[in-house]
Amino acid sequence: MSVAVDIANVSKVYPLGKTSVQALRDIRLAIAEGEFTTIAGPSGCGKSTLLNLIGCMDTPTTGEVLVEGRSTSRLSDRELTRLRLDKLGFIFQSFNLIPVLTVYQNIEFPLLIQGKLSRQERHERIVGLMDEVGLRDQAQQKSNELSGGQRQRVAIARALVTSPRIVLADEPTANLDSATGERIIDLMKNINRSHKTTFIFSTHDPQVMKQATRIVRLKDGLVLAD
Amino acid sequence: MQTIEKTSLVLRVAFRNLWLYRLKTIVIATLLGMGSFLSVVGLTLLRDVEASMQESIIGSVAGHLQIYSKKAKDDLAVFGSSFMGRQDLGVLEDLAPYRQAALQNPEVEALIPMGIDMGLLARGNELDESLDALRSSLKSGDSMLLNERMEQLRFQLQQLTTELSERKKVVQNMAELEKEEADLTQALDQIFLQRVASGDEVALQFLETRIAPISGEKQPIYLMYLGTDIALYRENFPKFKVVQGETLPVGQRGILLSNKIREDQLKNNAARLFDKLMKRKENLRIPLAGDPENQRLVQDLPRQYARILAYLDRAEAAELSQTLSESGIKGEGGDLIAGLVQQLKTFLTVDDSNFMARYDFFYKNIAPKIKLYEISPGETIMLRSYTKSGYLKSVPVKVYGVYSFDGLEDSDLAGAMNIVDLISFRELYGQMTEASLKELQEMRTQVGIRDIKAENAEDALFGEGSPAQEATPSPVAPPSSSSAVETLSIKPLIPDQFEPGEIAQGLALNAAVKIRDISKIEEVKQQLEKDMQAQGLDVKVVNWQEASGFVGQFVNIVRLVLIFALGVIFIVALVIINNSIIVGTFNRIREIGTMRAIGAQKSFVVGMFLAETGITALLGAVVGGALAVGLLAWLNKVGIASTHDVVTFLFSGPRLYPQLHPAIIVLCPIFVSLIATIASIYAARHAAHVKPAEAMQEKE
Repeated sequence: MSVAVDIANVSKVYPLGKTSVQALRDIRLAIAEGEFTTIAGPSGCGKSTLLNLIGCMDTPTTGEVLVEGRSTSRLSDRELTRLRLDKLGFIFQSFNLIPVLTVYQNIEFPLLIQGKLSRQERHERIVGLMDEVGLRDQAQQKSNELSGGQRQRVAIARALVTSPRIVLADEPTANLDSATGERIIDLMKNINRSHKTTFIFSTHDPQVMKQATRIVRLKDGLVLAD
Repeated sequence: MQTIEKTSLVLRVAFRNLWLYRLKTIVIATLLGMGSFLSVVGLTLLRDVEASMQESIIGSVAGHLQIYSKKAKDDLAVFGSSFMGRQDLGVLEDLAPYRQAALQNPEVEALIPMGIDMGLLARGNELDESLDALRSSLKSGDSMLLNERMEQLRFQLQQLTTELSERKKVVQNMAELEKEEADLTQALDQIFLQRVASGDEVALQFLETRIAPISGEKQPIYLMYLGTDIALYRENFPKFKVVQGETLPVGQRGILLSNKIREDQLKNNAARLFDKLMKRKENLRIPLAGDPENQRLVQDLPRQYARILAYLDRAEAAELSQTLSESGIKGEGGDLIAGLVQQLKTFLTVDDSNFMARYDFFYKNIAPKIKLYEISPGETIMLRSYTKSGYLKSVPVKVYGVYSFDGLEDSDLAGAMNIVDLISFRELYGQMTEASLKELQEMRTQVGIRDIKAENAEDALFGEGSPAQEATPSPVAPPSSSSAVETLSIKPLIPDQFEPGEIAQGLALNAAVKIRDISKIEEVKQQLEKDMQAQGLDVKVVNWQEASGFVGQFVNIVRLVLIFALGVIFIVALVIINNSIIVGTFNRIREIGTMRAIGAQKSFVVGMFLAETGITALLGAVVGGALAVGLLAWLNKVGIASTHDVVTFLFSGPRLYPQLHPAIIVLCPIFVSLIATIASIYAARHAAHVKPAEAMQEKE
């Protein structure tokens, strides 16, 4: 099995006034393709920082992050953006949909930015995904008319629409009740199985952690357990 | 295909945000709408004014280019400088080489010699005029005519007595008035009048020297005149039109009076007040009641009864009194004159309800009986001017006609100019012509050696010859001496005719150049200056706008004001736009972050913000532009009234009817939107700096 994400000796220091905060300390972590990994730990342990680094939204102070074997440290903002668009999918705690757009348009958004597929191809892919996440009938609804669970399904479909190899999810169930959250995790897990997509998500919910194939525990910027 | 969908995506998001922040959108759109409105209206008016002004200035006096001496102390201003007075323009000693140099340029169509200067017009009064008429009837020996003239004189003397008794009520210096009254009583004496009728010189001179001044000399008026070659002038200045009489015949000395000057300064006072009120009431639509200026004119009008009475003989006075009675204005009966004075005073008391009827009555029944204008075509007037060496020079010129400039009839500026032939101009300027040199020679032989020496001494001192009989060292001649001046000037200095060749060369102060293609004006201007200077000619070349003095500059000022106003609006709008984008960014950090996180490039975010500004701007600009078109279309129907003389000149008429120019209407709103959009790039780029990681933020 090849490595999806390789984190090599990564440290991250944030300046905070005159001092600085060591968010991550010399992390070494390799996540294999197809894993359903959760990054767990109390708040402030560095979960978000780690996800940001994997998601190419931030650069490490020292060390290197490799996505599918490719180093990200020398890439420009434009290249990093392109990398996020093509290789990564994102699911956010607050869903982060664009309110004015319909469900369909929200899912279509990354494809339009990508500009690779024809209208027909996009349509097939979006309809397929909506079926898969169970939103077949909500295509023309505005995203702000949906329930929390439905919104997160839209977000999942949006994250998957570009067929990324890796999907990153930041506390995907934190804003949902436990039953809904469970169904979302189930959905993610199904996709993980069927699409062979690597999932990396952060959570502090023990119920959710149980579903993971691998749990990386972080504390004070260190990998506590794996 | 993809681009269209991407664009529609950007637009959808943009529209949502505009709706979300409606108030901000409306404020920005309103500001830019004002900018668009102002630019469409302003540029349209500016363009129309510029076009009409260009046509007026080029077609009346300035031509395309003007040349004059480089040694000039003042800048040439063909319509006069803003400070009334004579300009020092230097002199072009001989025009011939200039003409030759100019006409060598294939772009030059014609060179028209000119000279602009200012002189005084000597004026007598009504009593002077009737005494002149009396003398001529005495000479002719026609007894019927003499009786008529004597009747007229007696009538005028009676009026003067009435006037004097009126004046006694208000004047302080009684002694002088009483002396005048005594003189008048003497003049009205039956025996005295018989002496006059018999041609007694002493009696006549008594009337001329003692009585005539009582009725008051009119102030001499300043006349601006343009000396030119009338044939060339008429060919090249299409705005020129003769409204009364005839044009100057080629080879004849003479003057064409400006219609405006004649109307404003040489017209009967009562008629002039009627005209002014009519213009204000009808053209400017200012009612008589309530307007201070109109009230001043209305109060002035009844005092002008004497200006009517002076021209009437007994029969005409009786007829007028009768007509006035028939129209309901009754006199008190008794004495005819006292009654008519009363009637005229009533008649001249106007208000909004009776004005139009009185105006019509005046022109129908009174104007034909009186001398409406002091000077009319066919008469000869005496122009006086100070030569450069300080001598007062008088030149008689025949009035051939009255002219005005098409479209500039109401403008004081354009109407300030009278046109004389170049020969008379040179004479007034103080140049010695062959004829006047010959005249001087004859005089010298007549007067004798001693005087000639004195004359020569003065010539040597001041470097410029001036005939002795014209050398009046005193400033403006005192009013009562006008007849004396005229007797001095009876001998014509220079013949009334001249050879056309005389004006093809010789002195001028400036010259207008007409070119074939106005788009090449700057090119030709520089070429002419270069060519003439290469030939050693003393020259300065200016374009029509520079030559028109402060009038030409006025458009530049209006343009600056417009640009300044637009600039302020734009700066305010741009500051608000940029500010609102930057503030808006804070509200939308998570949204921008999310877009960036899921793969939107910075350029996408920039595009999104620019689209928002663009849509807002376009919305405001189109609405503003549409309102401007509406206003202009309305103004096109009703016209904009000119409230000031300079404005009349700019409008080339009393009202401006703005035209709709499609280019301005379409381009202004687009331009406004583009500027706003481009100016928001900075703020949009600022928004694009939101980090993708901000998407993870939880605070909402």
